[in-house]
Amino acid sequence: MKTPSDENHDLIRWLDGEMTPAERSAFEATLKNDPELAAEAESMRQLSENLKAHLPAEMPVPHADFFNSQIQVRIAQMEADEAREGRKSAESTAAWLSWLRMPWLAGAAAAAFAVAGLVWMQTSPTGGASTIASTYTPNPAVHAQVFHSTEAGATVLMLDGLEPIPAEKKVAGFRVHHAESDAGVATTTLFDENGVVLAVVALNALGQPQVLK
Amino acid sequence: MTNPEIRMTMDLPTPKTIWQGRLLLLLCSSFVLSNSSFCPAQQPEAIPAKKPATDGKVWGALVYATTDAAKLTGSTEKAPDSQKDLSSRLAKVFKPYTHFEIIGQHLQDVFREYESWVVPSRDLFLKIDSKGPAVGGGMDLHLQVWREQQVLVKTDAVLRPGSPLFIGGPKWRDGQLLFVLDLAKN
Repeated sequence: MKTPSDENHDLIRWLDGEMTPAERSAFEATLKNDPELAAEAESMRQLSENLKAHLPAEMPVPHADFFNSQIQVRIAQMEADEAREGRKSAESTAAWLSWLRMPWLAGAAAAAFAVAGLVWMQTSPTGGASTIASTYTPNPAVHAQVFHSTEAGATVLMLDGLEPIPAEKKVAGFRVHHAESDAGVATTTLFDENGVVLAVVALNALGQPQVLK
Repeated sequence: MTNPEIRMTMDLPTPKTIWQGRLLLLLCSSFVLSNSSFCPAQQPEAIPAKKPATDGKVWGALVYATTDAAKLTGSTEKAPDSQKDLSSRLAKVFKPYTHFEIIGQHLQDVFREYESWVVPSRDLFLKIDSKGPAVGGGMDLHLQVWREQQVLVKTDAVLRPGSPLFIGGPKWRDGQLLFVLDLAKN
C-alpha cells in the first residue's frame, strides 16, 4: 500500500518527467481513480509550466569558488578557536599564581613592555598598522601580493596581471561629498558638496554594480 | 509506539510547499530582473534614504601615477589635510613613479550591516562590508575592488586610522592607477 509520502514523491517525479513509461502509465491510472490527487497534480502541472516559462533552466552562482573558499576559511578559523579554547581550559589558575610569585617577574614584565612598545612604535606610528588577512582574485591571471611598507606607513595590495585600461579611455573622477544608501532597493546615491547627485550605484540581477548617470 | 513511516511522512515537504517555494523564487527573480540592467535605462534620481547606523568613515581616492609630469591629466582634485603627505608616501612604494595625481575622491560612511560603496571614479571603485570594530582599534572589513562590472579582488582586512591601504591597480597610459583607502580618525 502506498503512503502519502510515496504519492508526493511520485507526483514530483511525474511533474519533472522522471518516470519510466510504465511508471507514468501506472501513476496516471492512479490519478484517474483519485480526483483529489488529480486536481492537485493538475494545479502543480500548471504552476510548473509557468515557472519553466519564466525562469532559465540554470542560473550561474556568482563567484561560487570564492564562496566555497570562504567557507573553508571559516571552518579553519572555528577549528583554531576550538583548539585555543581547549588549551585555555587545560591551564590551571594555580599555575599562573605560581608564576606571579617569581621574584624576577617584575623585571621581565618591564622588559617585555619595553620591547612591545618599541615594535609598536616602529610599525604603527598612530596606533597599529592596517592588515590584510586574505585575498581572492576571481581571474586566475591576476595575482595579489600583500606587504607592509614601514617606510610609507601603509599596507600595500599589489594586483599583478591586470589587463591595462586602454590609453584612449578617459578615466574621470568624482568628488563625492557624501552618499546615501537605500537598503530597500539596494542603491547608493552619491552627492557632491552642493547636494547635487553625481551618480547612483545600483546592483543588477547578478549582483554586479552599475554606476548610473 | 510511533509508526516510523508516518513520522517520515511528516518530515518530508509536500509537493505544495515545494512548489510554493519555487513560486516565491519566481516572484523574487521577477522583482530583481525588473530592477536590473535588462530593463530600459533610467535616469538616476536622488533616492530618499533611511540613515543606517555607521561604524566609521573612510576616505578613498583614485590616483594616477606617472613618471612624467607632462602626462598628468590636469585634475584639480586636492588631497585633504589629513593626506598632505600622500604623494611622498606613494612614491616610497610605487617606484619608479614620481608624480601622483588624485583623479577622484570620496569620503564615505561605513554602514553597519549594509554594504558601502567608495566611488571616486566609475572606472575603479570599492565595495565595503563592515564586520565591526577590530580588536585593538580600527575596523574589520570585507573589501571588493571593482573595475566597472568586474571584481578584481576580494579581501578581508583590518583598517586602522593613519595606516592607509594602497592598492596597485591597472596600468593606464604610461602610468598606473592606484586606489588609496584610509580610515578617518574620529
